[in-house]
Amino acid sequence: MTTLIVILWLVCSVFVIFEKKIVRMILWLFLSSIIASIIYLLLGSPDLAMAEATASAFVTIIFVIGFEKFFNLRDMKKYLKDEKEIEKENKFKRYILPAIISIGILVLFINFAIPVEQNDYLKNLILDRFTIDIGGENAVTAIYLGYRVYDTIFEALLLVIAVVAVVHMSNFDITKVNDGKHSELETSGMALFLVRIVAPITIIFGVYLIANGFLSAGGGFQGGLAIACFFVCRFFIYDIYDLPIKKINRLEDFIFIIIVAMAALTIFAGLIQQVPYRFMTLAQEIYLFVMNALIGIKVALGFIILFYRYVAIERN
Amino acid sequence: MNYFLWILVVLILLVIFRVIKGPTIWDRVLAFNLISHKFIIFIVIFASIESTTFLLDLAIIYALFGFLGEIFLIMFLADRVRGGKEE
Amino acid sequence: MIEIISNVIISIGIFFLIIGVFGIYKFKDFYRRLLVSSKVDTVGAITILIGVIIRHGFSFFSAKTLLILALILILNPLTAHILLRTAYVSGHLLENEDNKKGD
Repeated sequence: MTTLIVILWLVCSVFVIFEKKIVRMILWLFLSSIIASIIYLLLGSPDLAMAEATASAFVTIIFVIGFEKFFNLRDMKKYLKDEKEIEKENKFKRYILPAIISIGILVLFINFAIPVEQNDYLKNLILDRFTIDIGGENAVTAIYLGYRVYDTIFEALLLVIAVVAVVHMSNFDITKVNDGKHSELETSGMALFLVRIVAPITIIFGVYLIANGFLSAGGGFQGGLAIACFFVCRFFIYDIYDLPIKKINRLEDFIFIIIVAMAALTIFAGLIQQVPYRFMTLAQEIYLFVMNALIGIKVALGFIILFYRYVAIERN
Repeated sequence: MNYFLWILVVLILLVIFRVIKGPTIWDRVLAFNLISHKFIIFIVIFASIESTTFLLDLAIIYALFGFLGEIFLIMFLADRVRGGKEE
Repeated sequence: MIEIISNVIISIGIFFLIIGVFGIYKFKDFYRRLLVSSKVDTVGAITILIGVIIRHGFSFFSAKTLLILALILILNPLTAHILLRTAYVSGHLLENEDNKKGD
């Protein structure tokens, strides 16, 4: 079965290269990365499958926005919200009902609280195979440098892309940047309704992925992308980009420094070995959770900068 | 249960022919929609065989993010395609 | 016993999916293809997920599957609606006999 899907993947990749029309190319790219995610799942790496699935959707969105800005083909009727009626609903509908629904969905996501559901799938998989796949004797090093190396590499790549995109592309002579104006993307009422349903689920799901990253599949990168997708939905709903980009950029650099400092202090300096043996697992879990949360926030901020810069740039 | 996975893969292969063949771009997007929904079912049955809960997160990711990407793709097509022809 | 029942229900769902794939090749117009395939696909997905829920009984797994079922039930038909509406607004015409006579 795996070989059949690999053949499908090859066919899709060949079509990505040899397709000449841009729309079809984007479609084939989306399809090939979805099939790649299934292959990663079947080969026994659910984390990478999640990362691929989230990244493929976000890359498609950025492609679409970028091509739309490049060709500047928006001469259809403008959809401007003149009658933006802010309905004053009562407090129950605005706050209490969403809180109840989100708590219910969060309870559905938690799987470490129920002892029956615990199984040793990931643990046995990694513990059995890391000596064969990567070598060495330390499982944590094997995970960080072998199974989770995409996390580190893509982190560095993301920093480079974000800085280059923000500094270089928004300072062209051809382009101008307008902040705080309404966009001109055409939307229909049904799509707005659907995105309003989807948006809160994405942010709950992102928080779940980050908080549960060291216990099951998931982690900082996937959760950060989910949170960034929430801000994409927010742009889609309100049609306005009013986030302070420069402050977000500064915050992202600051969080990157914190990540490096924390890794240096705890892992390289060996501070985590100084902890007494009773609190060892607790300290390790706290370290993993904080690192996952920092990576998730950094990834979310970086992708928010990318998306909002792409949206805000316009041609003269 | 493994037969179901095989049948699903064969169905996906049949739908991919429509993505290759489809005369208009809308047929391709429709076929893509069908493929992503078949993958959701694939993951649910796979998780049911392994009886692990966290593999279902991947199905939720497919349902949410595949939908978002598809919505943006359709919005892009609405500007780019006129009168059923691709430009 | 429960496994046999769930297997039968999942087989019915797979049969619906096969009908949907057959419908893609049977009809020669985009709108008809969308009508047949998206409806039958939704029904098949619901049936298969109900089969999986019956297989696992009253447990955490089936609760999470129920969440996926709710997502599919909301997202799948409305995505088909948005696709159809966008195709119609951007000018993709229905190829019936009246149109050909008019032209």
